Amino acid sequence: MNQSAFARTTRTIAGWAVVGLFFFPIYFWTSVAFRNAKDIFNWPPIFFDFQPTVRNFEQVFGISLGFDFGNQEAVTPGGGNFYMAPRLWDSIVVASLSTVLAIAVATLASYALSRMAFRGRHQFVSWVLSTRMMPPVAVAIPMFFIFKQFNLLDTYTGVILVHALMNLPLAVLLLKSFFDDIPAEIDESALLDGASRWTIFRRIVLPMAKGGIAATAVLCFIFSWTEFLFVLTLTQTGLKTVPVVSSTFVTSIGTAWGNMAALGAAAIVPAFIVILLVQRHLVRGLTMGSLKQ
Amino acid sequence: MRDSDRKLYLASLTDRLVKGQMGRRDFLRLAGKLGLGAGALGMGMHRGPFNFVPSAAAQEALQPSADILKWVADAGKPFAGTTLKLATESTPPSNALNSQLKKYFEEASGIKVEIEVLPLEQVLQKLTLDVASSLGTYDLYYIDQSWAASFSQDVFDPREQLQKTDLAMPNYNIDDFLPALVDGIAMYDGRMVGVPYDIPIFIMIYRKDIYDELGLKAPATMAELASNSKAIMDAKGPAMAGIAGQMKSGHYSLECEWTSMLWGHGGSIFNPDKKFVGNDEAGLEAMAYWTELKKSMPAGVDGWTWDGQGQAVAQGVAASMLSWGEFFPYFDDPSQTKISGLCEVAVPPAATSLRTKDQTAFGETPGVGHQGGSTLAVSKYSKSPDAAWVFMQWATCADTQSLITALGGGTGPTRTSVYDDPRVKANARVGAGTTRHLPVVRETIAKHMGSEPDLPEWAQISSDTIPVSLGKYFAGGYGSAKEAMDDIATQVDTILKG
Repeated sequence: MNQSAFARTTRTIAGWAVVGLFFFPIYFWTSVAFRNAKDIFNWPPIFFDFQPTVRNFEQVFGISLGFDFGNQEAVTPGGGNFYMAPRLWDSIVVASLSTVLAIAVATLASYALSRMAFRGRHQFVSWVLSTRMMPPVAVAIPMFFIFKQFNLLDTYTGVILVHALMNLPLAVLLLKSFFDDIPAEIDESALLDGASRWTIFRRIVLPMAKGGIAATAVLCFIFSWTEFLFVLTLTQTGLKTVPVVSSTFVTSIGTAWGNMAALGAAAIVPAFIVILLVQRHLVRGLTMGSLKQ
Repeated sequence: MRDSDRKLYLASLTDRLVKGQMGRRDFLRLAGKLGLGAGALGMGMHRGPFNFVPSAAAQEALQPSADILKWVADAGKPFAGTTLKLATESTPPSNALNSQLKKYFEEASGIKVEIEVLPLEQVLQKLTLDVASSLGTYDLYYIDQSWAASFSQDVFDPREQLQKTDLAMPNYNIDDFLPALVDGIAMYDGRMVGVPYDIPIFIMIYRKDIYDELGLKAPATMAELASNSKAIMDAKGPAMAGIAGQMKSGHYSLECEWTSMLWGHGGSIFNPDKKFVGNDEAGLEAMAYWTELKKSMPAGVDGWTWDGQGQAVAQGVAASMLSWGEFFPYFDDPSQTKISGLCEVAVPPAATSLRTKDQTAFGETPGVGHQGGSTLAVSKYSKSPDAAWVFMQWATCADTQSLITALGGGTGPTRTSVYDDPRVKANARVGAGTTRHLPVVRETIAKHMGSEPDLPEWAQISSDTIPVSLGKYFAGGYGSAKEAMDDIATQVDTILKG
């Protein structure tokens, strides 16, 4: 069907408008990271015409980037109160390892739930789902006492464990639905050919569910990356993730918006890289099971 | 030349260098005469990524006393290797301790100090969990004045700790803490719940240029505050409002502003019979005044805590505020705001009448200068209370408090002697970290300070019951101020009955 030039133009404009709608908040937030404090709350707002500075990034990362925009001041020697670079690393470690742990356990569990018939299988799935129904705050406080008992407070192991546990139910349910979409006849054929369950899982089913696993991993990563309550409750000074330290920019004499935006803008990058890495599988994973033959 | 004079002179030189009133050559020459030539030269010649002449020079002048550090080394020696933990709000004193000063204590004592800086609500959550579990995950407690009653039994009374002579810092001088602050922040039921650690307090901050332009003077009375604000609103509004408020519905800041209005009109929160009386004649007069004053505030004030209020003044959206004095150094910082040097301070306007402490209950002390603040105390559940006590004495001694004020951006000191310290006075000029507002802060503490009542239920009443209902009133949720205040009275009575 031939489209008129008007329709094409309208569609292009509408497309760009939608992109702009989604992109603008990210642009504005990022631009705040490059502003001096006095240029953030202008009225009427300034979107482009401001003197850029990298001071917020320098303070957050405790480094001197060496740029000079005319009024550049030095960072606090040794990093000041807003030195958060180690916290970004904490977030990367916690989100990555908890995702790996959750996916490793969830793929095995969900494959078993998808393929193996055992008494109480359906109830087991419901039970897995029910663990997500409890408000996190109801779990966080008992968890604090348990972690203290086992010396897991304020440790990577503790936070990785709790984030993996938090993501496990969702990962199991999602992956089970992906495995359910792979015909069981494939497994049966392989069994007839002499393959073991483990071989079938590793060599046949897992590669076929790559997209679903990628989609689940991205969701687990994002949930861990943005989780606040457990990290707040179960950590002190040893480690902290980006969402928790972001709240420390709120001080008794106001909020350090520029520094908060700098950390926020920097925190987008790792999550963005993870999504880029699995992008190819992601789209397939997200649409998997949407069409039934 | 005395050491303090030498430091004062060096700080003055540094200040002139920073403001461009002196060349580096002259600075080095004069610094050299002070015996600091080589050090200053080193600072000036080496400009690595973390080197900056003014801050380096300032640090030279702003270091802990050798005598104090010697005591820290001696007293802390038995506890070397211990790790202390403190959860605190992100305040100027805590930030100065954490980023610039604790290293001196750690080096001298061998005790490691981990300071967890959090927003106030999260500090409360952490402390509550620590007390409930009695696990001693924190050795020191940062206690906001509104929590003093709640945590009074969970910390050591510093007067009792001072009896341990082997750990007592010579010349710690607990009597040096401003008596009004000890009474207003630290005392509950005869116990001293730590020592005063910081003191944000309401003072009058106003744009001198705007006031001069309109021929106004700093308001001496509540009536003048209203008329000045209205005059500015009429002349400059809506681009610039007369006064900024902190009136976010449901937030503690709204309660703070309310108490200032209430006390300023002869009212009080409680009467001697421990009944809520914010709904009496004086209370309603305050509400009428406040409702009228709000017309001279910028649009959107209902969504602002003290953060938004400060931003409004910093951005020139409002010409004044009756609020926390610790905002003033921020306003004076040219790298942070556009109003550096344009603001002045004054003591809060005089109340129309003022109730005495005897006419209230729970230690409530009426005064327009609403006092916030916190104490620092050693937790009873700490595994290392003695090491924590050594740190606490060092952190709150006069020398460290002076450094905190000088390095922490002009925060209000809690000790009398700190106000007179030459290092603090040296910063009394326009610019970042100014201390030029401190004489007003000191006078406000002495003559105009208002303290909230101390009772275990106060955290709930002040942070939830009152601000939620006041927010509802300003949103039009009540038929009248009387209806709103009567509702608050009913709620407070219910809470107090348990």
